[in-house]
Amino acid sequence: MSIPLLRVENLGIHFGSGENLVKAVDGISFSMAAGETLAVVGESGSGKSVTALALTRLLATPSARYASGQIEFKGRDTLRLPESELRALRGKQIAYIFQEPASSLNPVFTIGYQIQEAIELHRPEVSNVEAEIIRALHTVGIREPEKRLGDYPHQLSGGMQQRVMIAMALACQPDLLVADEPTTALDVTIQKQIMDLLKELKQKSNMAILLITHNFGLVADFADHVLVMFRGRIVESGRTADVLRNPQHAYTKALIECVPRLGQKQHRLKVIDYAGIE
Amino acid sequence: MNPASANHQTYAQRLWRHFRADKFAHYGLGIVIALFIIAALAPFLANSHAIVRVADGRITFPVLLSLEPIEWRFLIYVLLAALIYFFRRKLQTHPRRFLLLTCFFVALVELWLGFSHPINDPSNDRERPSSFKLMPPVAYSPIETTPDQFSPPMWKHPCGTDSTGRDIAARMLHGARISLSIGFVSQSIALLVGITLGGLAGYYRGWLDIGVSRFVEIIECFPSLLLILVVINFTGSQNNMFCIMAVIGLTSWTGVARLVRGEFLRLSGQPFTLAAQAIGASDFRVILRHLLPNALGPILVVATFGVASAILIESSLSFLGFGMQAPTPSWGDILSESRRYIDFAWWLAFFPGLAMLVTIMSYNFVGEGLRDAVDPRLRIK
Repeated sequence: MSIPLLRVENLGIHFGSGENLVKAVDGISFSMAAGETLAVVGESGSGKSVTALALTRLLATPSARYASGQIEFKGRDTLRLPESELRALRGKQIAYIFQEPASSLNPVFTIGYQIQEAIELHRPEVSNVEAEIIRALHTVGIREPEKRLGDYPHQLSGGMQQRVMIAMALACQPDLLVADEPTTALDVTIQKQIMDLLKELKQKSNMAILLITHNFGLVADFADHVLVMFRGRIVESGRTADVLRNPQHAYTKALIECVPRLGQKQHRLKVIDYAGIE
Repeated sequence: MNPASANHQTYAQRLWRHFRADKFAHYGLGIVIALFIIAALAPFLANSHAIVRVADGRITFPVLLSLEPIEWRFLIYVLLAALIYFFRRKLQTHPRRFLLLTCFFVALVELWLGFSHPINDPSNDRERPSSFKLMPPVAYSPIETTPDQFSPPMWKHPCGTDSTGRDIAARMLHGARISLSIGFVSQSIALLVGITLGGLAGYYRGWLDIGVSRFVEIIECFPSLLLILVVINFTGSQNNMFCIMAVIGLTSWTGVARLVRGEFLRLSGQPFTLAAQAIGASDFRVILRHLLPNALGPILVVATFGVASAILIESSLSFLGFGMQAPTPSWGDILSESRRYIDFAWWLAFFPGLAMLVTIMSYNFVGEGLRDAVDPRLRIK
């Protein structure tokens, strides 16, 4: 493996203090190569979103503390970069898409304006901004982008909104796209469309994707490698096929068994038995 | 504001379209604008001097000569604003040149006003013989006393006269500028302070929030009218319009600060704030470009109510003898005088009261119209 694009070393993130101390992320390490797709899987509260936000120090700082470790992106430690350099990094090299497209778009601005903002912040050299916005909307499969520019977020469907978010994220051609449960708020057919779109865009641009999800179905279809997080720790990691075929950790096994399969008759879905894991 | 192609409206155009659909708001705005124009043109609407006078073969403009620097300012800047509004399309092509030109013009005006002195001519042109004269619609100046004391409304004095024979119509036309500018300027000060403090508290939270919130609570504990009276007394700023504006503004920002803090707390928890930070927007940009426009609806509503209440506070101050003092005309001052003669001179209370009612109601209609227009979620129909 070549030099990693992203290397996370012994990252620890704590909330609260004293008796209320919560170790949301408790000393995790992993790395990603350029162009790689890494899935982080785990249940709610396992620390996956916190890890994603920590990559560019997006967590609200008085409540969250970066307790230990380092995050090296292209050889620079983002936990110790000054705020101005971090801002240049956010959106330009590490872009995000979030879970709820409906509330991740600013309701009072048109989608054209919001994509324009991303371009203006990071690509001042672009002279014809409008053409660039139309191009961005076109790449994410929005039909007749010229007519959609002036639309407000609430005028679009959920799938369209998520496409706009992706267009915003990709407008500056980032090296790493962090997709924090990008399809959780969408229905299943739209999920498929969005994931196919991400796959297609990834093939075109050699961008790395950090996919955060609790859905093993997506992982199998999409990711090269997978990390399984449980209570702030990484309990298992490896190539997707290996982990899925031969899970080592009890929690991973339990997670995989929770996924309902076609053709199997089950009266009840499996529930994770936490007592057996620890 | 947005990269709209020809068939798309900008944000401002959309706002305007939805605002205009609300009849009350539309008329309210019309009345507010009309009041501003009346205020700007007051010397031409009510003056003892003629607008144009021809005597001994010489044409003179007595009104222009008698204008105070502050009146020139009001007149010139309102005209400038109107010009900019009408030629806004053409100005958009050269924004930088236009800005430079405006600054140059303003500097020129200020320089000229610094050197000019108005002619103080106590005489009037009503009886003065002249071959031609064009008098203002109300041919009396607001501080001029006449022998007709307590004249009820009639053709000569459309709103009657007061105890010293001053024309109420003239006093109200000139008083409009005081009431409007006090409402407007003091509320702008309140908005500036309130949005800054409330916004910082709501966005950064933590100690800053605690500090600002406690400060607001302390300020709110004072009965505001008494606080204003004390400040005016100690600073000796009685009868100084700008001090009264500042004092009213600096004591009425707490409501705005609380509202903005609450809105920012709510909005900064929304995912779009995080999304804005995630594309690399600075705190400054997030606050100004993402949070503030979302909070604008309620802020505007509060601001318009604030303008209305600032006008009322000014009248209360005049009423108590702490605001603008006679002979300076202000609606509150006329009202305060009416108290003593209310049993026979009804016009003294009726006209300024009506003016205040109409003004305050118009402001409230405008505020509510704006609130509905700013919120795009209310537009789906």
